[in-house]
Amino acid sequence: MSGGSAEPAPSTDDVLRALAEPQRRRILQVVADGELPAGLIAKHFDITPQAVSQHLRVLKDAGVLRERRDGTRRLYAIRPEALESVRSFLDELWPASLTRLKETVERDRGKQP
Amino acid sequence: MSDIYTASIRIAAPPDEVFPYFTDPELLVRWMGDWASLQAKPGGAFDVNITGVPVRGEYLRVDPPHALVFTWGVAGNDLLPPGSSTVEISLHPDGDDTVLELLHRGLPADEVPKHRTGWDHYLPRLVAAAGGDHPGPDPWVQDQ
Repeated sequence: MSGGSAEPAPSTDDVLRALAEPQRRRILQVVADGELPAGLIAKHFDITPQAVSQHLRVLKDAGVLRERRDGTRRLYAIRPEALESVRSFLDELWPASLTRLKETVERDRGKQP
Repeated sequence: MSDIYTASIRIAAPPDEVFPYFTDPELLVRWMGDWASLQAKPGGAFDVNITGVPVRGEYLRVDPPHALVFTWGVAGNDLLPPGSSTVEISLHPDGDDTVLELLHRGLPADEVPKHRTGWDHYLPRLVAAAGGDHPGPDPWVQDQ
């Protein structure tokens, strides 16, 4: 597969901003199974093809999607490294919140008669 | 979630060679299904048995070698009766190849995953068959 190495690593801020829109998240679901051209992605939505193109550009600029040229086609697919950056961010939060959960439960237990 | 399936594939053959793989029963079953009866004209039957599933439909549009629309349903299936969903095929020349786009709309949400799996299985076989390779026997049939 092409892409990836030549492009800069996506910034978590950019990725989260790009994902903060329901239709852009749905575009990711549509291309999750395989790369698609913009025209077919637009068929999944009631919004105009122009609006879909706009969303695709935001997702591409944020590094969430990659665009691949194949003859006259331009195909869009998810860049897994973008999702990885968000996953790493969320993973880092787990230990802190789990510790807090443990402390809360133990404190509450201590209060019981 | 979406109730449509879409795919875009490249086939190493011009559209006029790819088109008959949707209208000639012998060519259709080389990539999908084990039996087919096709009358490729508007109102004509599109009947194909795929791993024991009786897919029944009719052609709505037959415009060789650019476009093809047929209905898609399963005999005896109340969730997806014949006529209830539609498959739209468009073929565009791209260099020496064909870019084929498939749009399956009108699927009940519960049927989308199954059909996604099915098209994802059969379209690469179409790429092989129409591109001049033999896709070989359908492994899903042997699994029966």
